[in-house]
Amino acid sequence: MATIEFKPVTELTYAQAVAELETILKMMQGDECDIDQLTSYTRRASELLTECRQRLTTTDEQLRSILADLEK
Amino acid sequence: MQQQAFTLQQLNQRIGALIAVAETQNVWVTAELSDVSVRGGHCYMELLQKDPNNGSTLAKARGVIWTNVFSRIDAEFYASTGQRFASGIKVMVRASATFHAVYGLSLVITAVNPEYTMGDLLRRRREMLMRLQAEGILEMNRQLQWCEVPLRIAVISAQGAAGYGDFINQLYNNRNRLHFKSRLFPAIMQGDRAPASIISALNAIASECENWDGVVLIRGGGATSDLVAFEDYDLAANIAQFPLPIIIGIGHERDITILDYVANMRVKTPTAAAEWLIARGNEALNHLKSIGNAILQATTDRLVGCKEQLSYYGGLLPTVPHASTERASSRLRNDMITLASIGARRITPELSRLSHTASAINTATATLLDRRKDRLDAMQTLLDTLSPKATLRRGYSITRVNGKVVTSSTEINHGDTISTTLADGTIISTAN
Repeated sequence: MATIEFKPVTELTYAQAVAELETILKMMQGDECDIDQLTSYTRRASELLTECRQRLTTTDEQLRSILADLEK
Repeated sequence: MQQQAFTLQQLNQRIGALIAVAETQNVWVTAELSDVSVRGGHCYMELLQKDPNNGSTLAKARGVIWTNVFSRIDAEFYASTGQRFASGIKVMVRASATFHAVYGLSLVITAVNPEYTMGDLLRRRREMLMRLQAEGILEMNRQLQWCEVPLRIAVISAQGAAGYGDFINQLYNNRNRLHFKSRLFPAIMQGDRAPASIISALNAIASECENWDGVVLIRGGGATSDLVAFEDYDLAANIAQFPLPIIIGIGHERDITILDYVANMRVKTPTAAAEWLIARGNEALNHLKSIGNAILQATTDRLVGCKEQLSYYGGLLPTVPHASTERASSRLRNDMITLASIGARRITPELSRLSHTASAINTATATLLDRRKDRLDAMQTLLDTLSPKATLRRGYSITRVNGKVVTSSTEINHGDTISTTLADGTIISTAN
């Protein structure tokens, strides 16, 4: 079974990452998804989702430092 | 000689009396406002007339609205124009000329026609919009697309302004913890210097525009509603051509300025600007969530499908060999039946043909035998007719010596035993 080569998520723009997610979804919903590759696609999708969410949201720590900056 | 002279006060009073005639009282006059200020409830201003060609001042007079009148005029004026009584706007006022001994000439204003101001504002705005349209830049900022999730926001506002604080509070205390990044590019947000100040803030943002997703221009807040400053062609042209989408939040619902026509978006309040940005971010988060759910669902469906298929085969497997032998033996049985019926079909006619042949052979044999017998009988008859016996019966006899037939008497020697055969027997004799 051939393993699929994915680009590291950090090298993708947000729009590219979302586009890739949508492609994976479409493929999984279609018939062309190879069951052998289900795991690698699911793992990739979860990686992309995590990266996208991280880019949109901030941690407590970051938030505190931003607010501290603003209050200077 | 002693010259007759007025005191200054007397002269001023005389001038005052000369001015206070019907022709200068309660007349409607149009002018542009400048240096408007409110002190002790009274509103003081300069009334100007400018040359429309070069902007030079053609006429100027001090104007005042006393407090008892001003509170009413101010409210009415704001209600119908959305504008405060402020520098830069054109007004039509009912004024009476007065000449005060100390302060000199003033025009005391007792009424304002807001429609004139409104018409003037709209006309000027229309002219500016037509110019922007003719230059092909009117829609440029409006047609810019926001990036997928605008999180990096350059803010133009007055430093320490309440509106800016509201915006920042709203932006950074969003429920989903969207990761916004913002920086204030301070600018003067009211008065004549506002347009130039805002333009220079815009230029500062433009010089690092790859760091930002969009610009929010919000007013400091507070009571000032000096929107006339924003009715500025240069500022409008700068905003229209700005490379990033701009959100304008400088007024309340009815305070529309020309900037609202050229900016990518207008909102009622700084808070609303923040809310819009947060909504964009939330939308993106929801989209991610729905993709995540859909992928989970697709994976689960896929696995469930595969498992069902496997368990179907698993259930099938034990019955398969049995079913298979069943099928084979039933096929054999069928073959046997078929074979039997084929045999019957073929053998029966064959048998009947055999039995026909047998009887035919019997008949033929019998006939043949009969025929042979008849022929034999006929031959017997003929033989009987032709045989020596018949000749013997007619009286002939056969003479033999030593078993040999004798046809001549010379052949017989003396003493030979002669046998004579007659029709009904043989006589033995001896020759003499």
